[in-house]
Formats: sequence, C-alpha cells, structure tokens
Amino acid sequence: MADRQIQSVALTIDGREVEVPKGLGLVEAAAVAGIEIPVFCYEPRLGPPVGACRMCLCEIEGTPKLQTACTLTAQDGMAIRTAQTSEKAAQGQDATLEFILVNHPLDCPVCDKGGECPLQDLTFRYGPGATRMTFPKRTFEKPIPISPAIALDRERCILCYRCTRFSESVSEDGQLVARNRGARTVIATFEDEPYRGRFSGNVIELCPVGALTSTQYRFEARPWEIQNVPSICGLCPVGCNITASTREGKVKRVLSRNHPEIDEGWLCDKGRFAFTHLHARDRITDPLRRVRRRGLSAISWDGALEEAEGMLRKARGRIVTALSGSETIEQAYGLAKLLRQGLGAHSAVLPEETNDALDRFRLPLSALREAELIVIVGDDPVAERAPVVDLWLRAARRAGAEVVSLGVTGTVQRPAGTAAETCRELAGPGSELGGRLRAADRAIVIWSGPGGRGGTLLAGLAGALGLDGKKSSGAFYLPATPNGRGVGEAWAAASDEEEANPEPIGLLVVSGDEAAADPGVRALAERAESVLATTMFQSLAVGWADLVLPGTSYLERDGTYRNLEGRLQRLRRTVIPPAPDELAWTAKLAERFGVALSPHPSLVFEELSAKIYRGVGLGEIGERAPLPAAAAPATAPDLSADPARAVAAPGMRLLTYRALFSGAAVERVPELQFQRPAREAELSSEDAGRLGVTDGDVIDVRSNGTSVRLATRINRALHAGVVRVAVEHARGLESRVQLEKPSGEVLR
Amino acid sequence: MPRASVVLADADERDLTKLDEYRAVGGYGALRSALALEPEQIIAELTGANLRGRGGAGFPMGRKASLIAKDSPKPTYLVVNADESEPGAFKDREIMLRTPHRLIEGCLITAHAIGSTSVFVYIRGEYLTEFEVLRTALEEVRQADLLGGVTIVLHRGAGAYICGEETALLDSLEGKRGLPRPRPPFPPVTGLYASPTQINNVQTIATVPKILELGSKEFAKLGVKTSPGTAVFSLSGNVVNPGNYELELGTPLRELIYDIGGGIPNGRAIKAIIPGGSSVPVLTPDQLDTPLDYNSIQAAGSFFGSAAVMVIDDRCCMVQLALRAAQFYMHESCGKCTPCREGTRWLVQLLEKIEDGRATHSDLDLLLSVCDRILGKSLCALGDFAVYPVSSYMAKFRDEFEAHVEQGGCPFAGESSIEGIVAPVELHERKSLSGSVDG
Amino acid sequence: MASYPDPRSATLPALRLAQERHGWLSPEALRETAEGLGETPAYCQAVASFYDMFHLHPVGRHAIEVCTNLACALVGAQQVLEAFEAELGIRAGETTEDGEVTLRAIECAGGCGRATVVVVDHRYREPVRPEDVAGIVGELRAQS
Repeated sequence: MADRQIQSVALTIDGREVEVPKGLGLVEAAAVAGIEIPVFCYEPRLGPPVGACRMCLCEIEGTPKLQTACTLTAQDGMAIRTAQTSEKAAQGQDATLEFILVNHPLDCPVCDKGGECPLQDLTFRYGPGATRMTFPKRTFEKPIPISPAIALDRERCILCYRCTRFSESVSEDGQLVARNRGARTVIATFEDEPYRGRFSGNVIELCPVGALTSTQYRFEARPWEIQNVPSICGLCPVGCNITASTREGKVKRVLSRNHPEIDEGWLCDKGRFAFTHLHARDRITDPLRRVRRRGLSAISWDGALEEAEGMLRKARGRIVTALSGSETIEQAYGLAKLLRQGLGAHSAVLPEETNDALDRFRLPLSALREAELIVIVGDDPVAERAPVVDLWLRAARRAGAEVVSLGVTGTVQRPAGTAAETCRELAGPGSELGGRLRAADRAIVIWSGPGGRGGTLLAGLAGALGLDGKKSSGAFYLPATPNGRGVGEAWAAASDEEEANPEPIGLLVVSGDEAAADPGVRALAERAESVLATTMFQSLAVGWADLVLPGTSYLERDGTYRNLEGRLQRLRRTVIPPAPDELAWTAKLAERFGVALSPHPSLVFEELSAKIYRGVGLGEIGERAPLPAAAAPATAPDLSADPARAVAAPGMRLLTYRALFSGAAVERVPELQFQRPAREAELSSEDAGRLGVTDGDVIDVRSNGTSVRLATRINRALHAGVVRVAVEHARGLESRVQLEKPSGEVLR
Repeated sequence: MPRASVVLADADERDLTKLDEYRAVGGYGALRSALALEPEQIIAELTGANLRGRGGAGFPMGRKASLIAKDSPKPTYLVVNADESEPGAFKDREIMLRTPHRLIEGCLITAHAIGSTSVFVYIRGEYLTEFEVLRTALEEVRQADLLGGVTIVLHRGAGAYICGEETALLDSLEGKRGLPRPRPPFPPVTGLYASPTQINNVQTIATVPKILELGSKEFAKLGVKTSPGTAVFSLSGNVVNPGNYELELGTPLRELIYDIGGGIPNGRAIKAIIPGGSSVPVLTPDQLDTPLDYNSIQAAGSFFGSAAVMVIDDRCCMVQLALRAAQFYMHESCGKCTPCREGTRWLVQLLEKIEDGRATHSDLDLLLSVCDRILGKSLCALGDFAVYPVSSYMAKFRDEFEAHVEQGGCPFAGESSIEGIVAPVELHERKSLSGSVDG
Repeated sequence: MASYPDPRSATLPALRLAQERHGWLSPEALRETAEGLGETPAYCQAVASFYDMFHLHPVGRHAIEVCTNLACALVGAQQVLEAFEAELGIRAGETTEDGEVTLRAIECAGGCGRATVVVVDHRYREPVRPEDVAGIVGELRAQS
C-alpha cells in the first residue's frame, strides 16, 4: 500500500551497483541498471512468474546453477551477472534460443509478426547464428482459426503459455488451454470450438511470436509501413488507451497503449476489432436528402448547409436535440452553442442522466485491485457495460478482495429493478454488508446500471457509508454511453437558460448512430415535422430523416472524452474521415446564426475548459491522462426519494440488457458476428423447471401483440420471475411478458 | 553387512496389512509416544537420525520439517509422495502393499511433528491394488479411532512420471496439469494450496515409526555415518534374484548383486550397473565395490537416487539403451520449459540416427552438446535426468557409439537383448502420421 | 469434492469416474465432468490429456499394457509385446476389431523385480513370459 515504508536494497548487476525497492523483480531491477534481461514467458500482469521459457537465465553469486531472473526478487547484497558479463549465462540464453528454434518454422517472410517479433530480436541479440538441426521439423495443420478474429499457428508457437495464462488467470474464461504433454503439447480450445469471450484478442498482443495473429490484420502491413497514432477507444465509458496502426490512410489494427490506471494494457474484443466499421459498405460519405418515402439522394455540402439552415430557421423555438453520448466534448459543445446560443433551442434528449455527485468518491479503476471489499449494485452485468472493469474485479478477487454483487444475476440475487432499494438497505443501520463496507479499509461500491440517476443514488449510499473520507475507497457509476457525462456537461455549459416547451416539435436534430438507432428517438421523430440526423451508416438514416449528414467515428476525431472515472482524455484523429468532422460543419452553421465557434477542437476545448474544467489544458491531459483529485466533500444526496415501483402484474418480468457486442459498429464487423448475443431468453432454473422447459427449447415471448421467438437458456445465477433478453432481440416487447410454446400453449 | 529390517520389519512373518497383526509387533506404539512429545522434540529426533529423503534427492527430513513456516495463517499440510515411477524402482509399492500401517503411523507422527491435521497421500494411478490395501488399512485405523483428528486423503494420480517431482505433484493434487513450479518459493512456505507443506517419499515416512521406536541414536548405528539407517533397494535387470531387499546403507554394490542377487544369469558377463534408477549416471563393473550410500555413490560419479539398482549384461547395446531411456524422458517431459521439452525430443532423434547407423562423428559431439545445453538449465530435475543416461553411457561406452558410426549400423546386428524395443512415444508417432494432433 | 479444501482437486477423481462410466473421455464425458466441477470443458480436456491413464479417444473394453522400459526390456519385454501382437492380431497402440482389447506399450509400471510386467485391466501380471501370453488373452476373452 502507498503508506507502507518502501525498503531499498542495494545489489550489483554486471558490476553496476543499483538501489531498488526490496522485492522488485530482477528483470525490472536490471532495467533500472540499464541492462536488458531477455524474457518470453515473463509478464507480471499474468500473475506470478512461471520460469518456463528459460530465456532469462542469469548467474547469481553463491548459487552454482543458472537461475531465472524472472522468478527472483531483489535482495540486499545480491550479485547478478547477466549474459553481458557471464559466459555461462550467455551460453544458457543461446541454448534456450537454439531449442526454441529447432522446430520453429522459417516463416518470417510470410509471418505478420516479422519486424515486431521478440523472437527475431532476441535471436539476433542472444541466439545462435546458424542451425544445427538436421531433422525434419514437426509440422501442424496451419493456421487454424481459433475464432473468426484470431488465427493460431501451432508450428510457430514456442509454448511460452502466456495465452493460456491469460485465459486462466486474467479473463478467467478457461477456454484457451494447453493440451497433451511434453513435446506434443499444443494450444487449443475445447474440441476446436471458437474462443468466445470478451477479451480473447489480448492473446494476440501477448504472443511473442506469430502464433496467435489477428485475422483482420493478416498480410495487411509490415511494421515499418505503419504509423501508430495514440488515441482513446470511444466504444464504452472506460476509455481504454489505444494505438491505431494506420497504413496509407486506413486503420489496420487497434492495439492497447496501456494506461496503468485504466486498462493495464488490456482491450476488450469490441474495442480491438470493431474498427473495420470505418470501411463498412453502407458508410455515408456525402450529405443525403430524403427523396420520396425511403429514398436518399446525395447533395453537395453547400446544398446541405443551406438546407440545414433552412430547417433550423423554420423550426426556431421548437427544436429538440437528441444526443448519443458518443460525441466528443467539443462536438457536443459546438452543437450546444449553435442550438442554444444561436437558436434558443434548449431542449435536449440526453442519452442518460449524468451529474457530478460521485466526484467526491473519485478513484482510478486500478484502485479496484487494491480493494478489500467491493459491492456491485444493479441488474446490468458489468462486463457488458464496461468490460475492462470486469477484468479489474477479477483481479481484485484474485488479490483477495471480497466482491459481492446484488442484482438479478448477482452473487446475492435480488428481484429486477430493486437497485435503489438495495442502496437504501445498505446505507441503513441494519445491513450487515453495509456495516462491513463501513468497517473495511478499502471499500468500493459500483452501480452497474440501468438507471441510477447519473450516480446520485450511489453517491447517497457512498456518502452514508463514509467512503469519501477514506483512502482507496470510493465509488464508480457505470454509464451507458462512452461520453455521456462529457456531452451532458458540454450541453449545459453552452447556456444557462431554461428549457422551454418545444412542442409541437418542428425539428429533431439527431446526433450520432446511437441516437439514430434509439427507439425513443425514433418515436420523437415520428412526431417531429422534420428531422436532421448525423449518422455514419445509411441503414440508420433511411426512411425517417429528412436531411442526413455523414458522421465520423471516434477514430477519426480530435477531441476529448470524459470516462467513467471522471478523467478527461484526448482522442486523436488516427485517419482522415471521408467526410468533414462534425465540428467543422457545425462551426459553419453556427456562423450563419451569429455564433462564434471555432472548427478546431483544441480551441473549442480551451474555451470550454475555462468555463467548466478550471482551465486545464490539453497539454496537461497529455497522452496518459491523469485523474483529477476527488472533489471536496459535500452533503450527500438524499436516498429517500422513492422511485417508481413496479406494480405487481401477471406474467414474467422482462429484463433487457445491452450486450457488449451490439450496436451499429459491431453489426458491421464480420469477425465479431459470432460474439453477438444469441437469440435466447434466459430463465432461472427455478422458472424453467416450473414452466417445464429446458435449454434449447423454443418459446415465444409475447406482450401486447408483439411476439418474439427465442431459444430458452437456463441461467443458474438468474433471479426467479425474470426473463432476460438482449435488447436487440426484444424489440417491441414491454416489461411484462407471457411465455408460450410454439403450439400456442401458455406457460405458467 | 546383514540384511536389516526397519521399514519392512516383521513383514515376512506376519500379515502386516492387518491392524491387529501390526499392533502385535508394537505397531502404533511409536505414535503413542510421539503424541506425548512436543513437535520440536520429534523433529529433533528425526534430525538426529539424519534420515535422508528416500525419494531420490536425499534431503535430510528433519531439516525439511524445520523449514515449515510457522507464522503462516494458513493450515500446514503433509503430502506423501507415493508416485513411484522411476524406472527400476518398486520399493514404495512393496511398502504400501505389505506394511501400509507403518506408512499410516509415519504419517500421523509426522503430521504431529509439523502441526498438521491434513495429510494427502498421492499414489500413482497405476497402483490400484496398493491403493485398495491402503484404503482398507486406513478404514481400520479410522474404526480404531487412531487418527486423532488427522484426516488422511488417498489421492490417486493418473499416469505421469513428472508428478513424482514434488511441486508438480502439488499442482496435480490441486487438480491441474502436473507442471513443476519455480522455486523459490519453496513448499515449506508456499506449497499445497499456497500453504506450508511438508512433502516426503513413502519410504521416508514409513521409516519414522522405527526411528521413534529405536531412538535416533540406535537408528543412526545402522548404515554409515553420512547415510544412517536402511534403505529398500530394488534390484532388477539381468540378475538371478531380482526383488526388493532392505539393507543397511553402506552395503557394497557387489554384495547386493552377487551375494543377494545371485549374480548374472545364463553365464553372461556384467556390463553396466545403474545404481539409483534410470535417471542417474551408469557405473561400470570396475566400480562394483562402491558402498551403497549417498556420499560413496556420488563420489563414484553417480547418485543414490531411488536406490533402484538395474544390472545390465553384455548382450545389451548401450546405444539402444540410451535411446530407450531418452524415449522415456521425452514421453514424460511435461513440456513447460524449453530445454527439456525440445531437448528430450532432439536427443531421441539423434540417438535414433546413431542406432540406425546414419550418424557421423560430429553427431556424437552434437549429442553431447545438446546434453550440455539441457543440463542445469531446466525448470526441474527431469531435464538433468534425461541427460545423465545419455552423457554417462557416452562417457563409459564411447567405443560402442563410435562403432555404430564406423559400421553404419548397430554392431550387435539385431542380437542385442533389447533389440527392437518399442517405446510409448513411438505409438504417438504412429498416430500422428495418421493426422491426429492429440497423443 | 468435499475431501479437499479446494474443489478443483477433485478434477482427477472426477475424470476417472467419467471415464469409467463412458468408457473413454469423450467430449460428452468431458462436458459432464466440467459441469459437475464448475470448470470449463476446455480445462477438463487440458488436464485429462496430460495424463497417460486418461483416454481421449475410444478404447477397447479391456486394456493390456506391456511395460517396455529398461528393466523389463532387459529381460525380454519386446518378445512379450510381440507375442501379444500376434495373439491379438493387432499392433501395439491399436484396438482389436471387435472393440474388446486395446494393446499398449507403457513406461515403468513399478514391478521391475518381476519383469516383464503386464497390466491387464489395471491389475498387475508379473512376471510374464511370451509363453504366458496365450493364457492371459484366453482368460480375458473368457471374461467378456
């Protein structure tokens, strides 16, 4: 813990004396001394070192045999000699490389890893120059698709076990394993089923050779041809730090850029593989005007801006803006300035309620790993909303934390929709768990969704528990959108005026794909006289928007996002979008209404920052954004306000959730289709038993005239009385549903 | 030196699988005495007796027990290594089959000495009959209320030599693939379920009751100063009377092979002796006077190992024997570390080439170089064990290897006693040629 | 699972039971085992494939395993193995056509003093000479 005195020890490495914290790994200690100790299997993020590859063999004074540096820690007075000064160690490392290479195929010319391959690099530095192997190398069928996104080449595999250790000890999905023994060992999935999980792609980055490669990136580029642009993933509110590798103006792959406090070098598969949506076939690149009922015809930008101006003027005073929560802060602010200052249009449909109630409990995500007790409240699974947070929770559990979830699929099952009550209970005097949260040294509470009034309810709980006083304690609210808070703040900052009644709606301005796909927004669109939409994909615009302006992706924008920690992070334009940035045309439009708006995100940020971010500059945010300090304590929000309670009604309660692998971007990525939620209805084993259905049985889920046919899936963790369906399979269904067999027989 | 009876005492005269019989010769008396002693006193006795681990490493048992972390909030475990799989060794099998109660008593005494109430006996999967005998004996003990709050779980292995390596055994006991762990940390601090753990071989534990009964001083009178006591020697191969013989340590090798073992049958000449299981360097007839104790064998250039003495007569081609040994280690290599995984396969390939008569002199040098590149660099001792047969046969029988090269074939011309011996790894080869990736 | 502080330790016993029930560790057997243990099928397959006594391919109802390690080899294990091959009409590593017997060569079984050791359905037969082979096979066939 930060408070403990860190003892220093002095040791000698290759004759160089260094002082390092006691217990520091020898590989890191050598690095402090400016000496490289080569490694393959060593990766601290995967758990304790395994000493398997034998690449890091060193001589330790006083020990006759060579030792692996990775499994040893710095002790006072230690004297180590690496390959730099020890013939024996050099020979040992040379031997390791020779053994790795005896059966390694000469694939470099056709291997994607070439040029950024540790095996190549270390062989040059520490390995033999020629081979003594004269026997035929062992071969395998190759490459094998481990999943649509990942290819496995068993011949190249050096069996460092990084991938299996990731599957076992980080993502804990237990799907990628080592099969057989000895020289016959191979990496495999069960019966060659695909590696299905949220984090499978990380094994591509972990693999030190070209054994696990991305199918998207296969043969796409060589490391010396690409430009790596640092940015932030914009697909969920975690805001993982990424690097986009681009070649000839196109994004070829997304890698992790490792922010130790946010993502620790991991990415979810959506963030990693969804970038190909930039090149989707139905991507809109020109402004489109609605023609007849379902037609769209391309028009010039000048024409579009004229049209837009016209629509805005006509509807003055009766304009509603629907935001997605994935706009950059600058985009949102620009739009807000245009509409609020230029047109007095203050009505906005924000994707979710956001506020600063939790700022007093601010913590970096990495604090989860240090926690003693973590309590999660809510029905939405953490892993679907903010996947990397799930990795932190697993890390916390492994480190000894107790993690309790209260919800419809929680470790403590609660009826659906009772998260607010749970918070009240926990805050109350009689709660055992609440008492433990108060008593624990490092306690964290999380609201996973849905609802939650932007974190207000959670803040009430956290305040009642006294978490803002305590070090390493705090709270996280998981928003539903990547930048909901940033967008909300930006909108609010543009004007202080109150929202007037916009009915009847003259113009609905729809910003972004998420808003364009939202059924609630579509319902508003039905009522509006005209609709102006910004979206990336044609199918999201057809049939309802009168004017469509091409949208851009987070990978194509310079701007800032505010993640769920409250951290501001910089997005960088990794490639030039096929259409102008939203801010650019917003500025042009703003001009027409007498609003001064710069088309440059950096200048817009400066203006906004002075207003609401205490003038923090983009330079301070930098490439690895710091987390601002927690806000000063204030009175806790009142928990007692009673939210609407579900009225007891017949039938089962339908609970929907937005799966991670959903949304317009994911829908357009072939490699991710196998991860999309199956057409299933989840039932508790109790309900399944009672209704007489089992796994795989086809049932109809019906409410008020809408019926959806789904396959039953028994979820043992699910609370009784609930049917759980992914949102995209539950369209049109209401919150109380009836279940029927295909024959029409009603299940009770 | 006369044959001694410590671990197998009274087993010839009585059926010591029965609790009543065992008690009749004083069984569980040592346990009673031990329970009246403080744990430190028991450890002192064991240390005083200088009982060296009989599993192969020869580490002093008392010292091992004293390393158990005392300040851990976690429970302490005793694990008995009954995974006997060393080629040539079959002594633990006999102990479990004939004196299971002595083992159980040893477990209970040792558990008390280290403050443990939880004992696991990891017994190799193939020893089904022995498992059943132990299980019955354990039930008797349970019925007779002798356990004293200690639980003993009999856990069966499933066929993997590497699980005899103590940290691999722990992983296997934890329900995983049996891969060795890097050390540090050591089992007395972080062992089974990350808790302080004492691991000992069956024979070692089975010796404990007698040490307590005789007292460390009496026990130490047996054997030799640096290796007191007795050991059960497994004698096999080309001898008239193969079998398990409990002898005082320090008995000369010649006595075991000729006086007790009856010498070489069919008038053949002795060619080589492996003194401690296939994993140790080979000895030659000129070394027959080597006393069978840890230090003497080490001085002779080999190791005491599992006290498994294999006698080889002059009909055996040493290249073929080296190949068969190499095939064993390749089959049993767990695959975790690079030098053993790749090196054992390479050794097999090279030895096949030599035996087939396709090798050159530089291949012989390459063979030794590969040996050298594995030795001391692997995660556990299996790498070294794979090397010792090959490098020692090369050292002592180099002329035979050279002859294969010179003659372009095996000089035994098909008449070697182990001609054509088929190893399990070859069966995998047959399967993989038909396209299967699994073993 | 209750015998162990960590239920994962029940993996080997569970796999053994499943193999006894199904005859071999088929994907179905592995899924069942996984479900019972709370592990993934991949994990069970990974563990099972590590150990020689677990069979991930169909095997005969009976197993005849001949030790061909050093001590047994020195006293004629190869002749014993070949005698079984002749008697059963299959090569080592194969199963008889009628699915009754699988013949294998195995590593040291721990009976070196009474070589050659042959393990028939988990029970040790030692020593075995080539002339004993017909009798052993006959006994086995009579059982079925």
